[in-house]
Amino acid sequence: MTDDEPAADSTPEPLDVREPPRVLVPVEVLEGESLSESLAAFLAPSEVVVLGYHVLPEQTPTEQASMQFEGRALAAVEDIAETFRAAGRDVETRVAFTHDRDQTVERVAAEVGATAVLLPNPSGKIRDVLVPIRGVVDTGRLADLVATLLADGDGTVALWGVAGSDGFDAAAAVETVRETLRDRGLAADRITTETAASESPIRDVVARSEEFDVVVMGAGGASLFAALFGDDTERVAEGAVDPVLVVRDRTVGE
Amino acid sequence: MGTSQPPGSGGTNESGEAPVQVAPPTTDGETTVTEEGSELERSIGLKGGVAIGVGTMIGAGIFVFPGLAAGRAGPAAAGSFAIGAVVALLVALPASELATAMPKSGGGYYFISRALGALPGAVVGISIWLGLVFATAFYLVGFGNYAAALLAEAGVPVGGVPVVVPLALVFGVALTVLNLFGTENAAKLQNYVVGVLLTILVAFLGYGGLDAVGVFGNASTPETFFPRGVMPMFTTAALVFTSYLGFAQVATVAGDIKDPGRSLPLAMVGSVVIVGVLYVSTIFVATSAFGSEALSRFGETAIVEVARAYFGNAGALAILVAGLLATVSSANASILSTSRAVFAISKDALVPQYASRLNLTYGTPHVALAMAGGPVLVLVALGEVEVLAEVASFLHLVMYGLMCVALVAMRRDEPEWYDPDFRVPAYWLVAGVGAVASFALIGFMQRASQIIGLAIMVAAAGWYKYYASDVRLKGVL
Repeated sequence: MTDDEPAADSTPEPLDVREPPRVLVPVEVLEGESLSESLAAFLAPSEVVVLGYHVLPEQTPTEQASMQFEGRALAAVEDIAETFRAAGRDVETRVAFTHDRDQTVERVAAEVGATAVLLPNPSGKIRDVLVPIRGVVDTGRLADLVATLLADGDGTVALWGVAGSDGFDAAAAVETVRETLRDRGLAADRITTETAASESPIRDVVARSEEFDVVVMGAGGASLFAALFGDDTERVAEGAVDPVLVVRDRTVGE
Repeated sequence: MGTSQPPGSGGTNESGEAPVQVAPPTTDGETTVTEEGSELERSIGLKGGVAIGVGTMIGAGIFVFPGLAAGRAGPAAAGSFAIGAVVALLVALPASELATAMPKSGGGYYFISRALGALPGAVVGISIWLGLVFATAFYLVGFGNYAAALLAEAGVPVGGVPVVVPLALVFGVALTVLNLFGTENAAKLQNYVVGVLLTILVAFLGYGGLDAVGVFGNASTPETFFPRGVMPMFTTAALVFTSYLGFAQVATVAGDIKDPGRSLPLAMVGSVVIVGVLYVSTIFVATSAFGSEALSRFGETAIVEVARAYFGNAGALAILVAGLLATVSSANASILSTSRAVFAISKDALVPQYASRLNLTYGTPHVALAMAGGPVLVLVALGEVEVLAEVASFLHLVMYGLMCVALVAMRRDEPEWYDPDFRVPAYWLVAGVGAVASFALIGFMQRASQIIGLAIMVAAAGWYKYYASDVRLKGVL
């Protein structure tokens, strides 16, 4: 964590942000994972890239798996793409065989320049968005994503600054995001803000998520804790009942 | 070479299956894209590649051979290991070039079948499957020796019953079953095992080496370097060459290696250099500590006695544990390579394609794994360490020699698609000497091993003639 100047070290060109945001939707296709229609409808305003992947044990060459499972994987991804088309948006599809899910998702996200990556969870009708802010986040991208996804409905967004022990100025960060959302044309009465102090932000976010339908959060930096117990975002996705959209930090040259 | 098959895919085997073309050999470093458009992620980095090479090799040279080799050649056994390293390097360079031009699963078999045609390909492919089976059996018997020694060290009474082979069998079954059900993070584990091993060995060899040259106490009296003449050094080199079989296993996972143009040559050459240095210094330290006569009497676990001499029982225990880890890592890596070898030949319709089926629940190649584990157990039951090692070396050396020939064939008449990232300097010389040296080592083996090896090759050729004589592979990518 450095300071909270929004993305000062990357390339904060407004144009880069104002494109329709891209959401990467990784789906473990051969494990029967699929997407609900309501989630597809919610994501439809953005550009969606569906990545169907299949994770193999290390003793299996990816080539060998593709010989046997490629047809099924392609068909399964096509089914998911169909869900999105029904919601009125054509999607790009990718299929990958891998030994390492995170490597594949990270690579494809960078290749397509994804704004956010979805960590799927079962979901009903999606209306209200929880945005926990716990550290530096790419405000432009986050606001763009949330504003685009909420533009046509009547859903609300709750900005929730969570201050930990690291001296993070939650109130200022929440205010920045709120203003950016307003600039993007989201009505003020659809945005609520609050801040709280918490020693165990992940657990609190998980608990809080029950009142909402989807969580949007920043990827967060790599920490020792994350290396031991998994990324914060993954832990939220595991604990929460909601799908989680992880806003990727912009990298140089993207 | 002789045959002049027309380029182009074609031909079917007795079951009517044709070679399967999955993906062109192009890569952007992180993925291969199949014809259908799906991406095959490359997930093994340079470190992982070196760990596969070192992890496969290190079990034999240090933890099984020192006693046997010293008994045969005296202190010149160090020379035997050095010869092995030189031959391995001469082959590793051409293998690296071919692997960067064709970074696909299958390794040596793939290069030879594409450069020289289906018959040499089939002979090599089938012999390498069995060669790996022999190597795995050899590592498992080594494991049995260490497990038995550990039991003895721990004072577990075995009642005078020979336990080496039963322990090896039990563990062989365990490894096969483990691989059938998928092992999470096996490769990461392999990296740690190799790291721990290298640490133990470097500490041990560093201290032993200083002692041997007389830094502590008295310099040990040097023995005659060639107590039995020069010849045993060469025959022993043929025996211990099994300790270097791992580098080509790096090429069998070429399809999964990130940035293959850089990682493959570095991993292959690097792992040979690392283990070569370790082997030669181990023999040097071991023969200095005891003299080759005594070493030979200790047999397969001689290095444990060396450790005991330097560090007492704690040292012996550490080396015993290291030996267990090393032989397990070698055996496991070889079982995995075997199943990849089976996959490569079945994809090309040289054996029924049923052999490359995957189990959807576990995602593992269960048929190929069974074709690896089954015969291994039969061979382990025989328990003949030296024959197992030599036959494994024989079959690998044939492949190594032919890989050098394949490089020359490719370079003399470079096809359009041939664009390796790494080119062997003075390829004529390197590949020529590599081929001659590989075939020459075969000449120094025991008669029994030569006969078994030849019989396997003839049987492989016979199978090809019967089952897949219409399959053409030369120049097919």
